[in-house]
Amino acid sequence: MDSDRRGRRGNLAVVAAAVVLAVFGVSAVAVGLQQATAGPPPAPPLTAPSATPTVSPAPTAAPDVVPAPEPPAAAQDLATKTMPRSRPVALTIPAMGIVDSSLVDLGKESDGTLEVPTDYGQAGWFAPGPAPGQFGPAVIAGHVDSKAGPAIFYRLGELQPGATLSVTREDGSTAEFVVDKVERYPKDAFPTAAVYGDTTQRSELRLITCGGEFDSSTGHYVDNVVAYAHLL
Amino acid sequence: MRRLTKLAPLALALPLALPFIGVSSAWAAGSTNANLTPVPLNGSAGSGTAMVQVDGTTIDFTLEASGLADGPHAAHIHFGADARHECPTASEDADSDNRISTSDGAPAYGPIVVSLTQTGDTSDASGLAVERFASGTSFQYMRGDVTVDPAVAAAVTEGQGVVVVHGVAYEDERKDAMSDLDPALPASATDPALCGILSAAPAGGADTGAGGAAGQQGTVMLALGGAALIAAAGSAPLIARRVRG
Repeated sequence: MDSDRRGRRGNLAVVAAAVVLAVFGVSAVAVGLQQATAGPPPAPPLTAPSATPTVSPAPTAAPDVVPAPEPPAAAQDLATKTMPRSRPVALTIPAMGIVDSSLVDLGKESDGTLEVPTDYGQAGWFAPGPAPGQFGPAVIAGHVDSKAGPAIFYRLGELQPGATLSVTREDGSTAEFVVDKVERYPKDAFPTAAVYGDTTQRSELRLITCGGEFDSSTGHYVDNVVAYAHLL
Repeated sequence: MRRLTKLAPLALALPLALPFIGVSSAWAAGSTNANLTPVPLNGSAGSGTAMVQVDGTTIDFTLEASGLADGPHAAHIHFGADARHECPTASEDADSDNRISTSDGAPAYGPIVVSLTQTGDTSDASGLAVERFASGTSFQYMRGDVTVDPAVAAAVTEGQGVVVVHGVAYEDERKDAMSDLDPALPASATDPALCGILSAAPAGGADTGAGGAAGQQGTVMLALGGAALIAAAGSAPLIARRVRG
C-alpha cells in the first residue's frame, strides 16, 4: 500500500515534468516561429533624394552693398481644417492592428536628436511640435522592434496610401487621418524639412520608425520609414 | 532717449563685428516651429502654430491661430541678444496693472525683429501696421522669401526667436487702458495674446529599433523549444512503464 502510493507520486512527478517541458517547448517554438517568420520589418523602397536641395549653398562672399530688399510677395491665405491644440493620448491604426494604444510625450535629446519611447510597445508624440489635428505636421514615433522581436510600429512599412488612422486627444476629440504615402530614407540623409517643416500648409501627421538594414556594429537600423497622413 | 542709450553699445560693437561677418561661413538653415499658447493675465484663450523655415537670410513663415478675441492681430518674431528668449510669465507685470503689456514682455522676448505681415514691408517698422496683419478670431497664412538680418536668421535657428501674436479683449477696467506702444491705440489692440518660442526640429532620423526582428533571435527560441519538446517526448516511454508497473 505504501510503496504503491510512493510509486503513484513518482508517476505524477514525471508526468508533471513532461507536461512542463512540453508546454515550454510549444510556446518557445511558437515565439521562435513568430520571430523567425516575422523576419526583417517590411520596408518601402528607398526614396530618392529630391533633385533640388532644400538648402542653397552658402555664398562665398558677402556682397559689399546690400540693395534695399523688395517687399516679398503678399501672404497666401490658407483655409484648411484644423483643431485646437490638445495633447494626444491614444493611437488607433486598424491596418497595423494597433487599437487605442496609449502615447507618451517625446522631446529632444541633448544632442538634438528625437527622443524615442522607452517602451517598445508604446509610440510617442513629439510634444514640442504641433498636436495631431493642429495645423502643421504632428510627429509620432515608435519602435519597429525590440531586441526580442517586433515592436509597435513593426508593420509601418506596409501601410498603404488610403489607410485611415485616428488619434484620441485629451479634450475628448478624435483626429482622423488618411495615409498619403510611406517612404524610406537613409538616416544620414533624413529630410528634416519635409518631415518636421511646414511643407503642406494643413494639419498632417507623420509616423516614424526604423527600417532597412540593421547595423549590428552600431545597434541601429540604417534607414527611417516615414508615413505621411493628413487630417480628414 | 532711452532707446538711444540702449543702442549705443550696439553701435560700438557693430564695427568690431563687421569684419567677421564675411569670414564666418555660418549659413543659418533649418525648420523651426513654435507652439503658440496664451500669455498669462491677458484673458486670452486659443492656440496656434508658427513655422519658420530659414535658408540663409531668407525665411518662409506660416502662421495659424484660433480661439482668439475678435479684432486685429499683429504678429511678430521678437529677438534680443540680451533677452531670455522666453515667453513672459504672470510675474512680469512690472507695473502691476494686471496685464502683460508688450513692454512687460520685452525682458523675456526682446524687441520686434520681423513683422509677420500679410503684405508689404516685414521690418520692425511695420510692427503696428494693423491693417496688414490678420484679424478675426482665427487665421492661417503663409508667406515666403522674407529677407531678415543674418543675426535674426541665426537666432531663429538657435531657438532664440519668439513669436508673439497680439490683440486681446478686456471686459473690465483694463479696456480703457491705452497701448504702451502707441498712445492712440487701446491696450487690447497691442497686448500679447499668444506666445511661443521657435525651436529647431530634431536633428536627423530616429533610433526606433533594436534589431530583434532583423537578427537570429527567433532561431535561438526555436532550438530551445525543440529541445524541450524532444525531452518531453523522451519521457513518454518512462511514464508508460511506470504506469504499467
